[in-house]
Amino acid sequence: MPDTGLPGSGSPVAEVLDAVKRFSAPEGGTVTALDEVSLEVSAGEFVTLLGPSGCGKTTLLRCISGFEDLDAGEVRIDGTPMTGVPAQHRPVNTVFQTYALFPHLRVEANVAYGLEVTGVPRRERTVRVAQALEQVGLQGLERRKPDQLSGGQRQRVALARAIINRPKLLLLDEPLSALDRNLRHSMQLELKTLQHELGICFLFVTHDQEEALTMSDRIVVLNHGRIEQIGSPEQLYHEPATSFVAEFIGDGALFTGTIEGDPDPALVTDDGLRLAIRDGVPAGRRMTMLLRPEQLDGAPAAPDSAFGILEATLEQSVFYGATRQLVCRLGNGAAITVTPSPGADGDRLYRAQLGDALRLAYRRAEPHLIEEARDGG
Amino acid sequence: MKLRLKRRLFGTYGVLFLVFVYAPIVMIVAFSFNSNPINMMVWSGFTFDWYWTIFGYPTQLNEQTLYVESTDQLLAAVMNSLIVAASTTTISTVLGTMTALALFRYRFRAQRFYQGLLYMPMVMPDIVLGIALLVFFVSIGMSLGLYSIIIGHCTFLISYVFVVVSARLAGMDNALEEASADLGASEWVTFRRVTLPHIAPGVVGGALLAFIISMDDLVITYFIAGVDSTTLPLFIYGMLRRGVKPQINAIATLMLLFTFIIASLGLYLRRRG
Repeated sequence: MPDTGLPGSGSPVAEVLDAVKRFSAPEGGTVTALDEVSLEVSAGEFVTLLGPSGCGKTTLLRCISGFEDLDAGEVRIDGTPMTGVPAQHRPVNTVFQTYALFPHLRVEANVAYGLEVTGVPRRERTVRVAQALEQVGLQGLERRKPDQLSGGQRQRVALARAIINRPKLLLLDEPLSALDRNLRHSMQLELKTLQHELGICFLFVTHDQEEALTMSDRIVVLNHGRIEQIGSPEQLYHEPATSFVAEFIGDGALFTGTIEGDPDPALVTDDGLRLAIRDGVPAGRRMTMLLRPEQLDGAPAAPDSAFGILEATLEQSVFYGATRQLVCRLGNGAAITVTPSPGADGDRLYRAQLGDALRLAYRRAEPHLIEEARDGG
Repeated sequence: MKLRLKRRLFGTYGVLFLVFVYAPIVMIVAFSFNSNPINMMVWSGFTFDWYWTIFGYPTQLNEQTLYVESTDQLLAAVMNSLIVAASTTTISTVLGTMTALALFRYRFRAQRFYQGLLYMPMVMPDIVLGIALLVFFVSIGMSLGLYSIIIGHCTFLISYVFVVVSARLAGMDNALEEASADLGASEWVTFRRVTLPHIAPGVVGGALLAFIISMDDLVITYFIAGVDSTTLPLFIYGMLRRGVKPQINAIATLMLLFTFIIASLGLYLRRRG
């Protein structure tokens, strides 16, 4: 029996070490799809690879599953190097974006495929297929062909087929992108529950940051084949390491400028906007400040040095049920989103008319500051 | 008003088109049952005699109107055609399918160039291909016979099978084969359990197409057939040179029937696949 340690204990189930993958571009030259990527997935973890299309997340998945070979670096599963091991012998399984169900086979035959080709006896196959179909909630559809199923059902068949071989690691390549919004939402929760029940590590690829935040234990943000940041959803949301992560995850406005200490600590943007920041940041640094919509509110009536103030004009007000979102224009022309909280200061914003001048405020200790790289890259 | 006129015009056009295409064929079938031995354009009654004569059965027709001197020759030609068609179909289906798989599954240098080369035999004039094959066989000292016909037919029928199977492969999601490998199947098992079922309608279609084309090829076969390897089309052509006689109609009708059966079989298999 393999070691099934608790999260964080023992050796990682899967490791990627300094993975490099280059493709030759059609117009000549090479494109680096993976640039020294390293990460590990521990037992029982749900890890998401998040990034815009073309960031290398699918390539990384294909290198782990064995459909692509790395140019440098290594993939290890349960400590065993996978270099030179073909896909069919790797203890990982994949849920494909297109599901890739075998169109000529019934649901039960699709699910049983992995057992059949690896020589599991018929009796055991029947039991395990029934069990897998029950786990994904597909009892009663055994005799259907894939083209007689709905998108959500196909998704479940693909899932059942992929878990039947009891992989060490399940790779999921944007499996929810073809589903409509409501179904996607319930599938997200179901996947998470299923992962918990099975105790298999999930490595999930998506470009949808909301999906990543909802499902993951840890998120790996990729951009141009490099890892921008690895962290828990909370870390990525509250303390993004780079402005790319800040921009990609959640809503918010970014202000890049130089830190000044006098008279009050502030970040001064290149076009002259002055934003109050927390104490203790050395002056002269170039930094980027992230203001989340929920950090902004109506300014208190009495002056208070704990707050930073922004003058803005209300441009749009959108009702979302539980919250209302205001889009405001700042003096330097930048747009900023605000979700006021109920209360005296927030109510004032709710009542504002389009075109009204507003005073917005944030606690200056709250906004996260990101160090800008000196070379500007 | 205007619309009705338009409809009528299109209707007329459609009917004329069908007449244009099918009238000759309907005529030849009708004539094959005409009992008039002198002038087949004049209907003088229904008969199966022309069919009996080609199979060598006694009829009431007098000797002069008889035309197939030897039924044995005819049957030998049919046999030759079937041997050639069956061998060619087998060889070109296997090679054509393998070629399509190679060109679709792997990447290699000059891929486009090879693909172009595979389309070439289909557009090349038959007569050029025929002469080229003849010159080639003679220059390597190969005697002409059934073997040379089989090889000659394969050279261009591989292309036909390739094209039909390629169309099927082009519509196949690459992820299917990856999913199979991912689930632990070897390449051979993947081919047998996933790829082949998917391309089967194309393979069967290509095979039937190859069979039909091989069965009725005249021009290329004319150049590369030996003395003892007369195929059915060559035999018919030989008969025609001595005048159009009613038996020809019967033979043509039988060939037509045979082709229909093959084609229907193809359609049936395709619909099931």
